[in-house]
Amino acid sequence: MNGENKVASKKVLLVDDSSTARLVTRMIFSQKSNYVLLSAVDGRDAVERARAEKPDLILMDVMMPRMTGLEACRVLKKDKETSNIPVILLTTRGEESFVREGYESGCSDYLTKPVNDAELLDLLKAYLGE
Amino acid sequence: MTGREKKDQRAETGAGEGAAPWDRKISFDALRVRAQQLSLREQLQREHFLLERLNAASARLIQAVDQSQVLEAISEIIGNLIGSEEVAIFQYRATDQTFSLAWSVGVEEEILRQFALGAGQMGRAAHEGASQFRDRRPAAPLLPCEKNLTACVVLKLDREVIAVIAILRLLPQKGGLEWADFELLKFLETYGAVAIQLQNLQKISVTP
Repeated sequence: MNGENKVASKKVLLVDDSSTARLVTRMIFSQKSNYVLLSAVDGRDAVERARAEKPDLILMDVMMPRMTGLEACRVLKKDKETSNIPVILLTTRGEESFVREGYESGCSDYLTKPVNDAELLDLLKAYLGE
Repeated sequence: MTGREKKDQRAETGAGEGAAPWDRKISFDALRVRAQQLSLREQLQREHFLLERLNAASARLIQAVDQSQVLEAISEIIGNLIGSEEVAIFQYRATDQTFSLAWSVGVEEEILRQFALGAGQMGRAAHEGASQFRDRRPAAPLLPCEKNLTACVVLKLDREVIAVIAILRLLPQKGGLEWADFELLKFLETYGAVAIQLQNLQKISVTP
């Protein structure tokens, strides 16, 4: 397998209850990256999809119905099948206390909304490679 | 880097003791071209950034199949693409010339129930048919509920104002509205109005 195919096979699971957020992220991915984008609409859905699809990285909103991003992150980190998947939290709250809570839940990184294309892609590149 | 490459690089940048005047001229030209290319690239990236957002916003509006979904879509577009969790949308009622709260997120509904055409910042914006923004706000009295108003966006079809979006505080990490935000709001002025009116007509046509 050459490097290009390897990149193409990297899967990112996007978890957001807002279809606007999913639409714009899908556009950024389709135009500017080779990652395969999967999506889930809340934390519970994310846990199920992560177990089934084993993505290489999870991009997850914090405030969601049924199960929040923080709760989902804790569940994923406790499960040995998903504990190694890096989770990047997408949050509207950039304050220190919120960020600390995010890291305590086991997330690897966080981005504040509204998401900036370049910032998002740089972070993905740092975790998944070119 | 090989010795040859280093030499080429020195020639290109005009560096080194042996660089002749014409080499320096070439290097200035090369730098100017490079600067123009970077500037053009940056401009195109900015345009592309806006296109992505307009594309997502229009796709989101098209997905909405009833009145409340249109209003939800508008507030979601503002929440996710502009960055505010305090949004209220008012619809015009011609019978008493007032705007009534039709949708809100993150605001105190009690103080934002309705406003009259011409009253306060929002009423004046509606009366004039022109959106208004905090940074460009004229010195005029505000309603108590307008204290945190960042923008009031007038949604209109032709000259008829059918709704007003009030954007209160932006997310803390947003310093203010940026050029792409203004373009997106301009898009909502027209296409938000189209989506609302289409659902109004749909409602009338299915009501016996």
